[in-house]
Amino acid sequence: MNTFWSMSSNVGLKRSDSEEQGGQGEQRASPARPPFGKKQLPSIPKNAVPITKAASPATSAQSANGTHASYGPFYLEYSLLAEFTLVIKQKLPGIYVQPSYRSALMWFGVIFIRHGLYQDGVFKFTVYIPDNYPDGDCPRVVFDTPVFHPLVDPDSGELDVKRAFTKWRRNHNHIWQVLMYARTIFYKINTMDPLNPEAAVLYDRDIQLFKRKVIDSVKLCNSHLFDQPKMDDPYAISFSPWNPAVHEEAKEKMFAHKVSV
Amino acid sequence: MAFMVANGNQGGQTLVLRGVDPETCMIVFKNHWAQVVKILEKHDPVRSNVGILGGGHGLGGGGGLGGLRFGKIPGDEASAVQNYVEHMLFLLMEEECGQSGAMGPILEFVVMENVLERLFVWSLRREFTDEMKLEQLKMYEMLIGQARQPLLHHKPVLKPLMMLLSSCSGSPSRPSSGVVEAELVLLLNQLCSVLTKDPSVLELFFHTSEDQGAANFLIFSLLIPFIHREGSVGQQARDALLLIMALSAENHVVAKHIAENTYFCPVLATGLSGLYSSLPTKLDVPSEDWHCLHHEDWQQLPSLVQFLNSLEFCNAVIQVAHPSIRDQLVGYIHNGFLVPVLAPALHKLTLEEVMTTTAYLDLFIRIVSEPALLHTFLSFILLHRHDNVHILDTLVSRINTPFQLGTVSLALFRTLIGLYCEDVMLQLILKYLIPCNHMMLSQRRVLRERDCYSVSAAKFLALTPSCCSPEIIPPPLRQLDSILWSKGTDGSQTTTKESEQVLPEDDDCVIGSEIYLDVSYLHYLSDAENSIGNCMRACRVWSAPYDGENPPPEEYQPSTLEEAGRTRPQITSKTTQTQNQVHQSGPPVRDLNAAPGLLELEWDDSYDACPTQPHPEEGQEAGPIPDEPPQHIQEMRRTAIMLVKGSYIEEAEFQNDVMVYDLVAQKDVQDSNNSYHASSKPAESEQLESGEPTSNQNPTESSMSNGPSMEDCKKKEGEPAQSDRSAIPEGEDLMAQYEDLIRSLAAQSSSPANSELKSPTEVMDDEVEFNSILPETPELERMPSSPFGTKPCSGSRGNAVPFTGPFVSVLLSRLENMLNNTLHVNLLLTGILAQLAAYPQPLLRSFLLNTNMVFQPSVRSLYQVLASLKNQIEQLSATRKDFPELLTAAQHCLLARESSLRDSQGPKMGDRIHGPEADKTKKNPAIQPKVIVPSNRTEVYATVLFTEFLKELAAIAQEHSILSQLPMEE
Repeated sequence: MNTFWSMSSNVGLKRSDSEEQGGQGEQRASPARPPFGKKQLPSIPKNAVPITKAASPATSAQSANGTHASYGPFYLEYSLLAEFTLVIKQKLPGIYVQPSYRSALMWFGVIFIRHGLYQDGVFKFTVYIPDNYPDGDCPRVVFDTPVFHPLVDPDSGELDVKRAFTKWRRNHNHIWQVLMYARTIFYKINTMDPLNPEAAVLYDRDIQLFKRKVIDSVKLCNSHLFDQPKMDDPYAISFSPWNPAVHEEAKEKMFAHKVSV
Repeated sequence: MAFMVANGNQGGQTLVLRGVDPETCMIVFKNHWAQVVKILEKHDPVRSNVGILGGGHGLGGGGGLGGLRFGKIPGDEASAVQNYVEHMLFLLMEEECGQSGAMGPILEFVVMENVLERLFVWSLRREFTDEMKLEQLKMYEMLIGQARQPLLHHKPVLKPLMMLLSSCSGSPSRPSSGVVEAELVLLLNQLCSVLTKDPSVLELFFHTSEDQGAANFLIFSLLIPFIHREGSVGQQARDALLLIMALSAENHVVAKHIAENTYFCPVLATGLSGLYSSLPTKLDVPSEDWHCLHHEDWQQLPSLVQFLNSLEFCNAVIQVAHPSIRDQLVGYIHNGFLVPVLAPALHKLTLEEVMTTTAYLDLFIRIVSEPALLHTFLSFILLHRHDNVHILDTLVSRINTPFQLGTVSLALFRTLIGLYCEDVMLQLILKYLIPCNHMMLSQRRVLRERDCYSVSAAKFLALTPSCCSPEIIPPPLRQLDSILWSKGTDGSQTTTKESEQVLPEDDDCVIGSEIYLDVSYLHYLSDAENSIGNCMRACRVWSAPYDGENPPPEEYQPSTLEEAGRTRPQITSKTTQTQNQVHQSGPPVRDLNAAPGLLELEWDDSYDACPTQPHPEEGQEAGPIPDEPPQHIQEMRRTAIMLVKGSYIEEAEFQNDVMVYDLVAQKDVQDSNNSYHASSKPAESEQLESGEPTSNQNPTESSMSNGPSMEDCKKKEGEPAQSDRSAIPEGEDLMAQYEDLIRSLAAQSSSPANSELKSPTEVMDDEVEFNSILPETPELERMPSSPFGTKPCSGSRGNAVPFTGPFVSVLLSRLENMLNNTLHVNLLLTGILAQLAAYPQPLLRSFLLNTNMVFQPSVRSLYQVLASLKNQIEQLSATRKDFPELLTAAQHCLLARESSLRDSQGPKMGDRIHGPEADKTKKNPAIQPKVIVPSNRTEVYATVLFTEFLKELAAIAQEHSILSQLPMEE
């Protein structure tokens, strides 16, 4: 039950692919993907001090299979950067993430739901990565605004990620899978062991009311879209209303790019 | 100078003339001319047209020759003419175009009256001295430079100009004086710039020449003798020629003429040869750590400056000229300079000479920037065979030679590797990695895996010797800066950094738990990012990713390697020209004898354990080879090696050695062909057979893969090089002669036999063979007792055998000897390896950096070598008490060295020092080491360097885990 991801990443991929096809029309209508890497990859440490917090020296020394605590932070930093490049490579549909300026262990993200019950939902979230990554627990995903969903804690907004990644296994589990999972829950609703029992019960017993609640929740989330980011971080994702002076050019570029490709 | 004067005068005249009525000017001009004509006619006894001029030029109209017969022209009259002419010229220059581009009245008059030609004849009639020439040249220079209407379109202007030019060019018997030459070149230069601005004049130049007989582009021909001239005259001539070259790119007639009717390209190329011959054959090595010619070095050698001027000129010509000229020039440089001059120079007889040539070659490659020319140089290195050995193989073999030659060779390879040229990398390393035989079969699929969690980096850094551990001895002056890392992810945004010494721009580290961090590592990361990024950008044009699948390993298995090699991609990086040119000239056959003598370079003990025949090409060339060399061959080798060991400095003896080796080689071939045919492996002969038919190369080359004909080839090749070689008869006599030779020479040598020869096939080639047995002594002494028996060549030769190539193994073996190497050798070695590690190709990256990769037992990996070095260092530090203090002092010395190098050479000279190190001390100017660690304590310096090298490699590995996976940003 709780082993969605532990089956194998392929299964996950397949599922998402099939979903993909279902929603293709919609997806085309969505704006072209911006050059993800360019925009979001923070300058890989030019002369920058890695913006990460350290694993405690002891653990990092251990995990680095050597004696040099001095380099532990570098290993962590680069592991996370590698994860991030993997995310970029995956080109997850409708998901955008960006590591925080202050810490590589915190990533800001947003999911665009393009069809299904949660259609038109734009959910901002934050990924928290444990500092003993990749040997620790699985990353946490917390929605900025708690979405009405059986697997999302109605108070904290935290998504139940652990059920999909009971044990985080280095080399097998990657952060892009977590992000993929965070998207999948909006298309395939699971009501087992819910964090939001109300939502689970409604989904099973009164789908109409559930749908209405979802619509309200989506509206609520979207109404907070232009709020200041919860975190005061230069790389936090923030939305602003359409402003041709600012956005038109970028939009044209995107579409031009799409045509040329 | 004269030009300046003219300018001055002209300026004055302009003021006077401006606004003056053109009619008045015309009247003045006519008056002046009338006066001049009076004087001219007075001294022109023959009023009819004689039509013969001294120079044999057909001269129509105007005047005759023979003035000299009629006495001297009085000085006052001459100067009167000159005065009038001067005024007339100013008037002509100042005249504006007539309406709708018609001639102005003065010009029309000049054309009608043939003024200029008559003036030229007049100057001929007087003694045609240098002064006269100068006067005339200056006159035209002024006219062309300053006239307000186009003059050269008019034949009566152009023709006397051409006559003047040809009369000034000077004959071989009577060269013109320097002043005239300077003025002439100046005028030619000026004409060339007119040509580029107004190509229609070009036609006229050609036509005028036609009048004189052959289609002759006089301006161009006149410039050619000045191509290699030093000083400003040469420079001006070259500039002028470049203008014409640029013209040729658009004008077929010019291009065709230059390529077909002039000696421009041969002159350029042979000029290089000539200039090269005047270069010093031995360089004074300024210091022990000298390894390549820097700007300040060659600036002090006028002959080298001159050579480089010409080389740069070739470079520029190739850049701008028409492809036909470019191809021709490139061909001549290959056939007229590289092959006949540079190749033999690279095989001179003393180490010093060879070292000097190597340094020159390195310099040339660094100077050349034009792809086609660089391509020629690289083709020469990769494809040309001298005495049957590819230049590249010879160069590789020299890395392991002692003294400066090895160091200079290393520097050359650093240059070559820095070109990011696919062919270079293919020949040096990749072709040995493509078959994937160096790794366990199961490892092929992880080849492209990346190191997500910096495991390899951690493993490299874990090799840091305990005495250098940053916790134990913080590097001086760039101590571990304590950077505070945040514990909490949210909330605490108070951002500070404790030490402002490093990276003051970063103030964003979050306070939290405190951790010590080797900040110098950040510089390594940054450098690694840059160097991998550069490399990836340059390699984008490569023909294949070299990722274990493309090119497919199956096609590069040793049995098919020959074929694969033939279809290998052409040089793609930086060099774009096709190889046509080279094919015409150099033997492009790559594979038949691609790597003779490779085996000898493999010094690894691990390799010795390998029972198989490592190199297919070797096998091909040598044909069947005995499992164990017969006793007398072993004896021979021992003696020969002894000779070389004892005598390579003496020129004469050296020569003998070469001869000896030639003999050994020939003898070996004999043996293998005659006596041991039976023991040949079926696979081997099959391979030979299959290789042959597909060969589309020139037949004589192809036949070399055949055992019997090789003897002939060898003889043939040997003939021009050394006469005494050709005298050696074939067959049974050889042995006797050889033994005589050995006997006579053996008396001179007293050093003990000592060798590391490994394979009976190795003595195939004299050159490589010779060099390869000059190893570092420690290497040798490891197994003094078994010079030949170390490699049991069992019968599995046909199989694919792990071998990572001579270049890698020679690098690793020198690296293994790091503690005994001098500092600069280690800097070069680590620099080359770091550069190699920056290549993004998975084959190379996984081989050098993936510490988890499982290789074949016989393959030595970089990590293994480093691990053994770590052990050596640990032992050393355990036995020597003063080691830690020395280390600290050595760090100080190195830092001081860097800062002084940086000060003296400016920021661009990073190549002389270890790149990353250059940055490390940016903020520590003027360090004075307190204690100088003597440079013969190599192990101390090497330990410091080793530790830094680990960081460098770890940083590269880490950056690879990120960069290599991302699509390149545009």
